[in-house]
Amino acid sequence: MAIDEHKLENARQLKKARKAGYGIGLIKGMAVTLKHLFKHNTVIQYPDEKQDLPARTRGVIALKEENCTVCMLCARECPDWCIYIDSHKETLPPKREGGRPRKRNVLDRFAIDYALCMYCGICVEVCPYDALFWSREFEYSEYDIRELTHEKERLSDWMATVLPPPELEVGAEVPGQPAASGAPATAAGAAGPGSAQRPSPPAAATAAAQAPAEQAERAPAAAATAAPPTEAATKSQEQAGETKEAQPAGRAQPTEEKAPTGEGTPAAATTTATPDAQPEAVKSETEAASPEQFDRPEGDKAAATTAPEAKPGTTDEAPAAALSAEDKAKFQESPGPNVEVPHETPQPVALQPTEDAEAVYKQVLQEQLDKGSSPQVAEARAKVARVKAERGIKRGPTPIQTEKMVPSAPTKGQPEPAEPSGAPEATEPKPEQGPVAETSEETTEASAPAEKTPAETPPPAPDEPKAEAAPAAGGDDDPEAVYQRVLAEEKAKGSSEAVAQGRAKAARVKAERAKKNG
Amino acid sequence: MPFEIHLTEWQILFVKLGIILALVPTMTLVAGYAEHKVMAHLQHRLGPMYPGGFHGWAILLADGLKFLYKEDIIPERADKRVFSLATFAIFVPAVMVYLVIPVDRTLIIEDLDVGIFYLLAISSVSTIGILMAGWSSANKYALIGALRAGAQLIAYELPIVLSAAVVVMLSGSLSLVDIVEAQNWPFLLWPPGIGLIAFLVFTMAGVAELTRPPFDMPVAESEIITGAFTEYSGMRFIFSYFFPEVANMVAFAAIGATLFLGGYQPIVPLEFLEVIPGIVWFSLKTALMLFVFLWIRPTFPRLREDQLQKFAWKILIPITLALILVAGAWVLYAPEAVR
Repeated sequence: MAIDEHKLENARQLKKARKAGYGIGLIKGMAVTLKHLFKHNTVIQYPDEKQDLPARTRGVIALKEENCTVCMLCARECPDWCIYIDSHKETLPPKREGGRPRKRNVLDRFAIDYALCMYCGICVEVCPYDALFWSREFEYSEYDIRELTHEKERLSDWMATVLPPPELEVGAEVPGQPAASGAPATAAGAAGPGSAQRPSPPAAATAAAQAPAEQAERAPAAAATAAPPTEAATKSQEQAGETKEAQPAGRAQPTEEKAPTGEGTPAAATTTATPDAQPEAVKSETEAASPEQFDRPEGDKAAATTAPEAKPGTTDEAPAAALSAEDKAKFQESPGPNVEVPHETPQPVALQPTEDAEAVYKQVLQEQLDKGSSPQVAEARAKVARVKAERGIKRGPTPIQTEKMVPSAPTKGQPEPAEPSGAPEATEPKPEQGPVAETSEETTEASAPAEKTPAETPPPAPDEPKAEAAPAAGGDDDPEAVYQRVLAEEKAKGSSEAVAQGRAKAARVKAERAKKNG
Repeated sequence: MPFEIHLTEWQILFVKLGIILALVPTMTLVAGYAEHKVMAHLQHRLGPMYPGGFHGWAILLADGLKFLYKEDIIPERADKRVFSLATFAIFVPAVMVYLVIPVDRTLIIEDLDVGIFYLLAISSVSTIGILMAGWSSANKYALIGALRAGAQLIAYELPIVLSAAVVVMLSGSLSLVDIVEAQNWPFLLWPPGIGLIAFLVFTMAGVAELTRPPFDMPVAESEIITGAFTEYSGMRFIFSYFFPEVANMVAFAAIGATLFLGGYQPIVPLEFLEVIPGIVWFSLKTALMLFVFLWIRPTFPRLREDQLQKFAWKILIPITLALILVAGAWVLYAPEAVR
């Protein structure tokens, strides 16, 4: 009943509205168009003015070459079959003497044919190692359709235009936290060093240290086996320094980075040539947590920022207590998601061997004992700390953990409480010597973003985590100034015009965002 | 007159022709540009922005240049003589309309005693031109378009003539200058209602006579390409379709301003407004009419052919016939109220 009445009422109203009179509708129509005459039009005069595209615009797909493990998922999932990947296998020396030689994939070709691509983004979605990203750039039309196939060099160049990941929503689950560590952990387990950093907020580490690390890894590690540990270390240091032609910061980092990386470790272990020493590698990784612990009392906050991301994984050895509230807070601050653009300062590296090595040794030993580590573990960690102090290396832990880390390495099967008694020499695991036939060219290319990071980033300021990492967004700089600066720098470096502009633009965008976000 | 120039009749004729031939294309270009821009802004667009540098003012010059370079194609089976004559049959009347429009009290090429008669007669000639074009093209779309145009132009000729007849009855003259002088403020509202209704009918029939939307069946591009002008190309297309269309639009706006809006008279009869020359008032009123034409175009969708005919024969013509009766009664019984 009520419904019928309602309907009737509606019909009556409709009839009344329609009965407005002959020609009234025409006048109403005229009024509508006239109103629109005075509305501001929405035309964007494209080549002259450009739209500020949304952050998730599907413009072009950028490749982060270092992260690619040639798993072929993207190529297989691509509905258009427009991704071409070529690779070859490389044999690395066995992890320890008598072991089997290991194999790894080396990316030879990665190309996307944008003439076929339908921009579905499945490849970006499916990439487990965060090697593919969307960029907002869209102006890459060509006169020749063949030019639309972007090879990996060009795809890598787009990387400079990829925006940093958006901030997490308030209350969002932070990826990489212990509770939710499932995904990152497995990813890390499968992926080796490059991807181990993936869930890590300080992607700067990726940018800064990864390229050389990868480099060294790829290279046949023959030399490493022969070389005495320390020599190997220094050599690799020097070499890294050369390839990056970088400042001290750049030099110290690669060695470090390499040491605990999953694949680097086994090679390092071979230097000692004893099965006993093998767990040493394990230790050397686990100790990654410890220097950080002893850093913290000193108030080296910057180191602490990087810590949390390593921690979630170190379930076995690093006590849960290590996840101090402070760290958690820091970790939450930093946007977690897996995107390439360096978000945090590179890991701080103190260059002078300022600390008294013996004092460090004792301090760490005491700390470890207090924490309840077994004497052996405590001793080993203290030794590591001492060696590091002697070398002048001080840094936070690497985002790597023993257990999950090395995918195919024998370590995995090892009983984890592998706190061996001896093998003091092996304290600092050595990366393979990165010999380097292909080094020079690739390194410079791959480490291009890395070069910038240490150079331009202001000294680690924990309070503003996002600003610095962007290649050039130095704090509250004027975006235009940033643009000019980066452009000049890129040109000085010899980058091509397009790349220089792309990077400069990216820097400007980041600076603008940083500004906008305060 | 500080100085006097004595010219023979022929010289005067040539000067007048020169003025016409210079003025009409210019006005056409201005109106065409206005059409581009007004329609664009009504639709939240910008319209042409690049040609000429400033807001695309040279778009029509560029367009014309483009058409100039195009090949002039006459279909093989077309009646070539009629095909090319049709252009002139359409183009010439469009220009000749301007001869009798009083731009100011003295600014008129030829103040004919039968000015309005001439106006209506000459503007009907183009109907023949369109039929010629459509018939000679040997193209079914052109033929359909021409027949549609013939039916429509004849149908809407009537309301125009009849509403003009109302004006003539009220002002008691066929001369356009006299008609303007006979109009008093408020132009449309006196005598009550008659002028206004006649004006509305004139405007609507004018839109149809110009074959502009919503009455653009003769050139409905989604149905019959460009109607009678489908086979025309290059400059021929410009001079048989584009140019006359815009020129006729300006002419109709000018005629509407002359017959109903007081022509060159100030919009309000105030002393100080007399200072402003009549040509300004005339231009303002013409521009207003023009704007209405441009405004209607993006507002309404196209009518169906039968709706169009119905609208002319069943609505507009009866209204104007009734209006003539009313106007006659008014003139008969209240002659002093007309002036």
